[in-house]
Amino acid sequence: MNERERRDFNAGLAADVDAWLRGEPTRRTFIKRFGQMAGMLAVAGGGLSPAFVSSALAQAQVQLEDPNTPLGKAQALALKASTEGPTDGSAFRAVAAAKQFAGANLNMTYEAGLQALDPRNFSGPLWEQLTGIKSTVVELPSPDMYSKPIAEHIARSGAYDILDLQPQWTPALADGGVIAPLDDYIAKYMNVADLEDYHPLYKALPTYKGKIWGFFDDGDMFALYYRKDIFEDPKLNEAYQAKFNKKLEVPKTWEDYAQVAQFITDQMAPNVYGAGHFRKAASPGNQFDFMQQFRSNGGAFFDENMKASIANDIGVKTLNNMIAANKASIPGNEELDAVSLWVAWLQGKVAMIYSWPPTGRMSAGYSQSDKAISFIPQSSIAGKVGYAIVPGGNPEHAFGFNKALAADSANLEAAYLFMQWACSPPVSLARCMLPYALRDPYRISHFKSDLYGQLFPSAPEYLANLNASANVGLLDPIMPGAQDYQLSLDRMCTSVWAGTDPMEALKTAAAEWDATTENLGVDSQKAFYLEFLKLPGATAANTVEKLGMAVKL
Amino acid sequence: MAGSATAVGTISGGRHLPSARQSDRRFKWLLVAPAALLILAISIYPLLFSIWVLFVNYDFQIPGHAFVGLKNFSQVIFDPVARYSLWVTVVLSVINVTIEFILGLAIAMALAKTFRGRGVIISILIVPLFISPVIVGQVWVLMLHNPFGPTNYLLGQLLGYDVTIKWLTQFPWNFVALILADVWQWTPFMFVILLAGLTSIPPHVYEAAELDGVGPWLTFWNITLPYLAPMIFLAITFRLLDAVRLFDTIFIMTGGGPGTSTYSASFYLYTIGFTQFHLSRATAGAWIFMVLTLLVIIFLVRRLLKAETR
Repeated sequence: MNERERRDFNAGLAADVDAWLRGEPTRRTFIKRFGQMAGMLAVAGGGLSPAFVSSALAQAQVQLEDPNTPLGKAQALALKASTEGPTDGSAFRAVAAAKQFAGANLNMTYEAGLQALDPRNFSGPLWEQLTGIKSTVVELPSPDMYSKPIAEHIARSGAYDILDLQPQWTPALADGGVIAPLDDYIAKYMNVADLEDYHPLYKALPTYKGKIWGFFDDGDMFALYYRKDIFEDPKLNEAYQAKFNKKLEVPKTWEDYAQVAQFITDQMAPNVYGAGHFRKAASPGNQFDFMQQFRSNGGAFFDENMKASIANDIGVKTLNNMIAANKASIPGNEELDAVSLWVAWLQGKVAMIYSWPPTGRMSAGYSQSDKAISFIPQSSIAGKVGYAIVPGGNPEHAFGFNKALAADSANLEAAYLFMQWACSPPVSLARCMLPYALRDPYRISHFKSDLYGQLFPSAPEYLANLNASANVGLLDPIMPGAQDYQLSLDRMCTSVWAGTDPMEALKTAAAEWDATTENLGVDSQKAFYLEFLKLPGATAANTVEKLGMAVKL
Repeated sequence: MAGSATAVGTISGGRHLPSARQSDRRFKWLLVAPAALLILAISIYPLLFSIWVLFVNYDFQIPGHAFVGLKNFSQVIFDPVARYSLWVTVVLSVINVTIEFILGLAIAMALAKTFRGRGVIISILIVPLFISPVIVGQVWVLMLHNPFGPTNYLLGQLLGYDVTIKWLTQFPWNFVALILADVWQWTPFMFVILLAGLTSIPPHVYEAAELDGVGPWLTFWNITLPYLAPMIFLAITFRLLDAVRLFDTIFIMTGGGPGTSTYSASFYLYTIGFTQFHLSRATAGAWIFMVLTLLVIIFLVRRLLKAETR
């Protein structure tokens, strides 16, 4: 679980308390419609065996959406792919093979809060009905998602079977023997064509030292969300033209971004401000924003001797751009976290934000259709939101999740089969479409999905923009010490927001980076970094698009 | 226990019975054993384990547990953030406890005499003690948030111009915010202990002073303070021991920022151990911190015992 989601959950609790005080129902009341399963499959063009219907109705645990809705149809298709095929599909093969492990129980770690609702309410119960394999969801706060599996591995407890992990942790956990490679299982069970369905940016993320250490499962791509009505306002356009002698457009550079944001703030504040960011310490917007802007400005994190190379003109330029954006932003910008920023955005107080993909679903009001997202206000900007690649042209893929196999699991094969099933194209699509889910589209079939495109009116443009962003997106550094490097960046940024000279702050951060590198071993870190640089999206010079692998929808 | 065993032996035979005494002794240990084992399991073992961790690599980012000598200590000692966080801890603890003591004493003296409604006021005053520090931090974040919190608005109304203090992200206001939250929560602790001390001072001492025509200031210096001294040391000792652990409000209110400006020792250790996963380094830091705290504890406890024997 990442920091954003932890805060979501905390905010959700607070909102629930408020709602309870108002006498409103606070516990999300999922509709249990397992009896409609037959109808759903009929919509999907499939049939049900009487035995399966009987079994499914008897358990009646999985929470399914109305079969006439896009999500309901996607769930029905996932079920059909699991029970009827195509028989060479990864979902079908996983279910067929997993039945021999009926009665087993899988312990799976998930980020506490919203992320865990999917395996609790949808994928976990459905898997049990399909295979007889039970699951226990272990909700962990974000830092524990890394440390607990290691601690359990040291104790050889076998406490976990399936791990939700950030891709940046893969090298350390693979080398430490905490996670197991999947190659043999993939060869045995998977329709490998499904691997080609991953967007190229995400496909390589679980690969390390030539082996596959998990299935990528959450496309956390930043994108720019802007108010079309404001950018199309004739009076504003006229004023902008008069002031800058150019057209008011969605900004494509960071300099333009600050300028446009400042112009909107000057024209419309206090009703609307040009921009907003989550700049609060550890929120963790600072590190992601710096990493994407620094690299799109041409910066590299380390030099050939593995010394930090952030304390230079590019670093200063990046921080100055960020300072200019801060000045043009909503008051309190430096004290906002991701959820507070969403609240300001959804209430129409901000003209542009860049954030994770749930922003688009919340803007359209889709996420708020579920009570689990009641801590976010209803959208006052639905239908007014446009999507674009972030200024600078290289958005950050901020965190993301791999589903990995715990090496000490006593149920390795059963655990693998769940992973294959949950991440298969039809099942993962249904999971990404859950309104409360924070799993974001990552497969090419997700981006092309007609059903996803029907979730809200502008969903096709939303998906197209996420795909386009992934084509030019940048990855978080995948190497040991990533947490340390990013923590230093966060400290650096908050220090600059409080008035520290940018170059001085950059030098402090660079010194911390060098200390981290020396502590972890310069040669070893250099090898990891060079390995990272081979990945598409490691730098602005080798994005998926620049490598000729861009996905066209 | 030993006393009763002797008594039983004497009563039963008029003389000591060695076998009965031995049996009692065994029974005594049997009773103590569960608690002793529990303490060994959850306290002594981890403590001994942590001593091993001090001298090896126990880092979730570096596989293996190679012997590293004193490297874990040197990494903490030469880390400027560690030294700074210690300084922050000392400064915040001293300021917090001082303000809380002064306010607590003032309130205790104001409420020492009985009057109508005193019980209600005392009940209200001690409410903050029952609130989790995390909630206290969150409340103060809402109060001090710029621009949405009421504090700047109210100050603006009072002063007649816009107040835009960044309480949580700007030095020195971030420290003021942390002190405000701590003082708000923990002044009642001082107040309760000092009130108990004040009410235990014999009234006849004050009556004698009044008859002798001693003024209120001299009465305070020569009667109240000396009588109250043991309670003052007790309150300050307990409060100081708690204050040096300051973590929750920093975690919620400033996240240690901006930069590392509000890192306390506890927050530093948390970050090293549970954000960066350098467990052996965090353990070394915790031991250093414990030894330093121990020095303060020994000093305060000695003063406390001295004050009690006076």
